[in-house]
Amino acid sequence: MSMLRRLGLAAGLSTLLLAGGAQAQDSKTFNIWWFELPDSAEGVVWQKALDEFKASHPGVTVNFQQKTFIQLQKAGSMILNSNQAPDLLEYNKGNATAGLVASQGLLTPLDDTVKQRGWDKILNDTDLQLARYDENGVYGSGPIYGIPTYGEFVSVFYNKDMLDANGLKLPTTLDEFVADMDAFKQKGITPLAMGGKDTSAQHLLYTLALSKADDTWVHNFQGLKTQLDTAPLLYAAQTMQDWVNKGYISKDATGLMDPDAANVFTSGKAPIYVSGTWNLGAFASTIKTFKWGQFLLPTPKYSVGSTGNLWIVPKGAQSKDLAYDFIGLTLSPKYQTELANEGGVAIAADPSTITNPVGSTAAKLFTDISSKGGLGFYPDWPVPGFYDVLIQKTAGLIGGTLTPQQFVDQLKQSYDEAQQNQ
Amino acid sequence: MANVTMSAANRAALSRSPIQRRRPGGFGRWLVLAILMLGLAVTLFPFLVAVLNAIKLPTDYAVNGPVALPRSFSLAGLATFWTEVDYSRKLINSVLISGLVAIVGVVLSLLNAYAIGIGRVRGGRKLLVLLLMGIMVPQESLVYPLYYMAKAVGLYDTIWSVIIIFSVLQSAFGTYLLSAVLTAFPREIIEAAEIDGATRWQVLWHVVVPVLRPTLAVLGTFFFIWTWNEFLLPLVLLISNQNQTVSVAMGVLQGQNSTTEPTAIAAASLLGILPTVIFFLIFQRTLTKGVVVGAVK
Amino acid sequence: MAIARGSLGASRAGYYLYLIPGTLGFLALVLCPLIANVGISFTTWKGIGKARFVGIENYERLAQDAMFWGSIGHTLLFIISMTVVPIIIGLILAAVLFDYISKQFGEGLSSFLRAVFYLPQILPVTAAGVLWGWILSPIGITNTVLKSIGLGAVAQNWLGDPTYALPAVSAVIVWIQVGYCLVVFMAGLARVDPSLYEAAELDGATWWQRLGSITIPMLMPEIFVVALTTVIAALKVFAPVYVLTAGGPDNATLVPSYLTYYHFFTTNRVGYAAAIATLQTLVTIVLGIVFIRMQSRQSEEGA
Repeated sequence: MSMLRRLGLAAGLSTLLLAGGAQAQDSKTFNIWWFELPDSAEGVVWQKALDEFKASHPGVTVNFQQKTFIQLQKAGSMILNSNQAPDLLEYNKGNATAGLVASQGLLTPLDDTVKQRGWDKILNDTDLQLARYDENGVYGSGPIYGIPTYGEFVSVFYNKDMLDANGLKLPTTLDEFVADMDAFKQKGITPLAMGGKDTSAQHLLYTLALSKADDTWVHNFQGLKTQLDTAPLLYAAQTMQDWVNKGYISKDATGLMDPDAANVFTSGKAPIYVSGTWNLGAFASTIKTFKWGQFLLPTPKYSVGSTGNLWIVPKGAQSKDLAYDFIGLTLSPKYQTELANEGGVAIAADPSTITNPVGSTAAKLFTDISSKGGLGFYPDWPVPGFYDVLIQKTAGLIGGTLTPQQFVDQLKQSYDEAQQNQ
Repeated sequence: MANVTMSAANRAALSRSPIQRRRPGGFGRWLVLAILMLGLAVTLFPFLVAVLNAIKLPTDYAVNGPVALPRSFSLAGLATFWTEVDYSRKLINSVLISGLVAIVGVVLSLLNAYAIGIGRVRGGRKLLVLLLMGIMVPQESLVYPLYYMAKAVGLYDTIWSVIIIFSVLQSAFGTYLLSAVLTAFPREIIEAAEIDGATRWQVLWHVVVPVLRPTLAVLGTFFFIWTWNEFLLPLVLLISNQNQTVSVAMGVLQGQNSTTEPTAIAAASLLGILPTVIFFLIFQRTLTKGVVVGAVK
Repeated sequence: MAIARGSLGASRAGYYLYLIPGTLGFLALVLCPLIANVGISFTTWKGIGKARFVGIENYERLAQDAMFWGSIGHTLLFIISMTVVPIIIGLILAAVLFDYISKQFGEGLSSFLRAVFYLPQILPVTAAGVLWGWILSPIGITNTVLKSIGLGAVAQNWLGDPTYALPAVSAVIVWIQVGYCLVVFMAGLARVDPSLYEAAELDGATWWQRLGSITIPMLMPEIFVVALTTVIAALKVFAPVYVLTAGGPDNATLVPSYLTYYHFFTTNRVGYAAAIATLQTLVTIVLGIVFIRMQSRQSEEGA
């Protein structure tokens, strides 16, 4: 009897303690993680927003942890499936990451919050495409599970001094772009820096494919709707191998990672580098010896790009309202403008308030793409693990061990297999 | 006394004669040295590259690349990495984890090997092969089961989970190594101790361990360094920043879209290896004395 | 495996007590997860949520996976670069340091060199990958040096050309592995009676003859230990490939562990990954048993 009573007492006590603990947490602590590097535009601006958050929530203990991309990439689903998850965290968008945890019921749906807080007026439907995941974890439809606060897209970075020195002007069409590259090649300069075993190669390839792609193709391709229609990719592969053969791209590219290729560009050895806006910060701070700029390779509608990583609120988060407060801050005009001024790609900034030319161009280009619904996303997204397949096969294409036809056939094989087995 | 001098003189004479005989080939002597120095240079070269790039300014790197000698000098990369990842905290965690694994791992190996090598228990060989699975299993395949187990027993996101797991995994190699050594241990010594009335426990600690001490030190050194460099399991099991290790902190080397500054990568590499290099330099003398296999024959 | 029954065999049972902690740890942390892994290999599962039983489907698919079989071929080559070459270099180096340098130039230089050759073992592979990437990149240090001394024709796209990628990764692995062999071998040499060498020298044996007739036979136990552990490591090799080439270009350096990792953490096809891992473990265990058999036979002969 006394044994039982003691047990009951203990149970009651611990419930009390737990409840008390939970309550205390609810009103006192806010745990937040992100993995953007501290000196990146997002890292700097979010830190400022967090400072303001602390000031406006004096009773709240804020625990911020700087995470690494690789940790959340490899262990994110395990963390979210435990009670160690924070109240708010940055998470990689896409089916294999946010989609997987959303479909397992580990995230808080945010549709009501989006309406209540008026975020639907800041973010358009294109911006929210990657925030929605259906019951299979596929993006594009279903409830909103995350909030993007910045954008990213692939564009051409060019060395203005080198263009000027060779009497070339900024191209506005693909043909002019090719003509410029040819002019550089005639002078003995390999024009295009490229990380052939990294993302910049597949991003150029997909950009070229998108120049021959319509709505149906992009929707089918990204949605894994039908077997792969290889025509645009075949054109892209032929063009790219042609550029290698003409010497616009060095075969050595297959031995370079993106940081090496970026270094070829920043050191003034190559005048052109096709890559994403994530380079803006480093270029702005390290290129001191020449003038540079960025422009979009012309395509009918779609460009390689997407909204950035998402703020997600784990299902078991204790302080959801605090999480929403912070998301609201990062979406506010003030911090969106700050983001653009730090050289980031603002998703919702007022262009007239941006003082940094780098951020202003980027925000304008992103709005151009997003407002016409032209985010073509990335070539590796439809199929889990397609990223590695693309890396391997693109290296083969550049190195000349694969013909364009073999290249698309091998892509089609793994695409169609995934399409059948989905 | 006289004996000792005699043998020393003897040895000196013995070792002098070959040198005298080799003297005509004095050139060969320098050739061997030159080849070794070349090997030395190749071995150390990547370390030099790390140092040279760690002290460059990012702008210097952007203009001249990784190959050029630094034209700027800055310890900012090192300092930034130190503060950004709260390096001192990670250092304490890594020392604690690797140190405890080295000790617990060696003790587990010793106990196993004592039973197998000295006790010669029936089925000892088979058990040895079974235990070796600890190093045969690809670690990736342990990740999910260990994650669920750690969660079930409440050790998820504690350094204890990593300490326990690696002590057991490392003891596979240790058991294998020490069993080989102890199988060759002279039985007379143990028998003599037992006749003197020593228990098994006393034999282990007062007879076997003193003889094995150098080998145990080598084993501990290996365990320490191996555990220090472990990446995947600590990455998955240690969630909070205050529990993470140095090698997990070096995960900043792999940013999304490779956005990390290369100079910062070099700095991180340098700070990541420095503790183990220091540790190794301290303990490398034990490696000379440590007789790894078949200690006494 | 003739175990000599010594006089203390009377109460051998007591020794089993000493096996309890190690065995318990093994059962809980190696065997259970391993069995769980075999179980997972018969399902499709994403790592969290519900798993679905699919029988041997994963294994059927594995049997037809050209990437997997290609990766097995590369593993055989990595056994050469992780085991065979480092053991040969390690043996010669150990003998040179022990039997030549320490006599000619002193003990100090010999231990210094040994410490230096061991250093690559300490370097975390992530860092080694970045550094070697800089050295072997087509615009990297190796090619810059080659071009500056007029050997531009030798310069290659070391990691990006399928012809050279596998040898280049192998070379880096040799760089990492030599130190381990060297340290173990030198420790073994410390127990060799110096008079053996002195006698051989007086008999006029050359340095190479001494290596063959004294050093290698005396070091057989160490050679077995090193060979077994490095073969196991070669079968599981992952990190150097991951950081240097990510299995590329066009899968020219793919290894089974990379595929396992890829499916465990990138495609989230955990069931399939578990099947590869299970097969890999099985092969390793069979090889390990063969090795240990050989070793115990050798040690009986030697004894």
